[in-house]
Amino acid sequence: MERMLRVNMTDRTVRFEPVPSSYIHRAGRWLTSSLVHDEVPPTCHPLGPENKLVFSPGIVTGTAAPTSSRISVGGKSPLTGGIKEANAGTGWGRRLARLGIRALIVEGQPSSGLWLLKVDAQGATFEPADAWAGGRLSERVTAIATQHGGRDKVDVCAIGAAGEQRMAAAGVCFTDREGRASRYAGRGGLGAVMGSKGLKAIVVDDSGAGDVPIADKAKFEQGRKKLAAALGEHAITRPKGALNAYGTAVLVNILNEAGGLPTRNFREGRFEGATKIAGEAIFEGNRERVGRDVYNHPCSPGCVIACSNTWHRKDGSEHTSCIEYESDWAFGANCGIDDLDQIAELNLLCNEYGLDTIEIGGTLAVAADGGVWSFGDGRRAIELVHEIGRATPLGRILGNGALFTGRAFGVTRVPHVKGQSMPAYEPRAIKGIGMTYAVSTMGADHTSGYTIAPEILGVSGKLDPADPKKADVARTFQYATAFIDTTGHCLFIAFAILDLPTGFEGLVEECAGALGTAWTMDDVGRIGKAVLDLELEFNRRAGFTAADDRLPEFMTREPLPPHNGVWDVPDRELDKVFRS
Amino acid sequence: MVHVHVYGKLRRHAAATDPRAASVVQITHCPGDTVRAVVERVGISLDELGANLFVDGHYADLETPVPDGARVGLFPDDMQLLYKWYFRPERSLDPRGEPRPGETKKGPRP
Repeated sequence: MERMLRVNMTDRTVRFEPVPSSYIHRAGRWLTSSLVHDEVPPTCHPLGPENKLVFSPGIVTGTAAPTSSRISVGGKSPLTGGIKEANAGTGWGRRLARLGIRALIVEGQPSSGLWLLKVDAQGATFEPADAWAGGRLSERVTAIATQHGGRDKVDVCAIGAAGEQRMAAAGVCFTDREGRASRYAGRGGLGAVMGSKGLKAIVVDDSGAGDVPIADKAKFEQGRKKLAAALGEHAITRPKGALNAYGTAVLVNILNEAGGLPTRNFREGRFEGATKIAGEAIFEGNRERVGRDVYNHPCSPGCVIACSNTWHRKDGSEHTSCIEYESDWAFGANCGIDDLDQIAELNLLCNEYGLDTIEIGGTLAVAADGGVWSFGDGRRAIELVHEIGRATPLGRILGNGALFTGRAFGVTRVPHVKGQSMPAYEPRAIKGIGMTYAVSTMGADHTSGYTIAPEILGVSGKLDPADPKKADVARTFQYATAFIDTTGHCLFIAFAILDLPTGFEGLVEECAGALGTAWTMDDVGRIGKAVLDLELEFNRRAGFTAADDRLPEFMTREPLPPHNGVWDVPDRELDKVFRS
Repeated sequence: MVHVHVYGKLRRHAAATDPRAASVVQITHCPGDTVRAVVERVGISLDELGANLFVDGHYADLETPVPDGARVGLFPDDMQLLYKWYFRPERSLDPRGEPRPGETKKGPRP
């Protein structure tokens, strides 16, 4: 029977409880946002005892569904002050699902100490973790995994030094398929929430667990096959396709060509060093250093897309994995750095200290505008990330994110929404994503509406700013994304189900088969709306208003080269998405 | 003159093919040039093209006019990672003119 595991950090007790009937079909983002909405006071301090940290595997996580090993992490964000769901690809969520745990809820707060929670078929137990504090997260996680049976037996979720210090740019780290401490539910500072609970790590051992229950195996299998066929066929998701060969960093050249690659703290839309840091350069550099073509690997068991790259040092040894597009851009174009070895080191250090690469790249760029360092000086950028890891006074400022750093250094050019640093798509060049940034419940978040062709969902939308339907499109995108975040699938399945309708049918059928529901494609929008409604309600009660659904003022004033456009989507259009 | 920036497997059409630098094919501009005409003159097969095509940084398709002095950016079918729905689809987004799901196939453009 599926259950929820409630972990009280105040007295370090644990309790298993049945999944309430009202949550019976909820998982992933739907369940984390439900629990946060229902149990966390919206006005509470995000780092206080009233906040909760909720983990939930998706509907089909742990099954044979392809590319479905996402774990959702939810709570009230110390970065935005609103609701947060961040998710990561890892075997950790699969193991939790196989143990029949639909949600793991961490609540309360200890008076002192750092703890490790071990979850297995026998239950859940605490161990003191003060000895694991600080240091490099890769070493800590490897030692923790070894001590608990090795990476074939366990996966580890942990925070780094930044989370222990309750910095708002801290993420929650999970082990990848090879046991690397590298997969992050990165955004929104949930690592600081975990740190505020005195929880260093959660080890999950699924030895002796059964398979994830599937109510209608025939329907599930029919859907699984359709989705797998779509992923195997599509040029982006198939083996040796765009994601497998080049990784997400292939986007560097594409966004640069579009004039939408934010450069030097969102001053320009093209970076002169783009080709030196793009996915093609990573592929070529690896070929030279390793002596063969290096295709990407899966971050988690069961992923057929396999988009995670590895960057190698000159001697052929592994430097870091993975340099995602967002990280590559954050430390590259946005910091004016065109040296892949320096970008790799910055990426590695964020993994080691437990930091969100997007937030830290955005923060460094704001700090450069504040005179802390100079754009392009990669060595100095590396020193600054070490300052965060050492929690020096300067490091604590930077570790609390771009908006905090902007305030500390009197910088008004802070690309953020609701306190969360903007990702790697310039809204003045690509206005559709600007609408998503503005109205997302998560703050500036490129993954909030990154999916689903409007016509598949029956919305005849164009992203023309003058088109009255565009609010419908923005809303529909966010509903569809919330549904995918609920299933446990990686958002990258969107490329295949966007172009191949049978893949989309397969997605719905496998979820319906797993749960034993009669869901059809019409239910996608209904479920996505249910998720968003919970999140919007939480944010409203936390004090957010329409004034928070806005892009920074400088973007309405400063033209962005090469197109020299400004952000000119009227506020009333933004308000139509969720507020009318 | 038209400056055609090619990426991925399309770089072989340029003299410089190192992916860590720009691969640019310079061709003479002709009156009435479109992306389709430019692609044909460079010698690129339509089967290799994806939907991520740009003229002076604007999302384009095969029928988009190409002015003299333009920068054209062409990405192959295995690199079309930019989410096409971020842009305003002025015409069919499929470079080969194939209908999208649920769309009626259109005849060739005049």
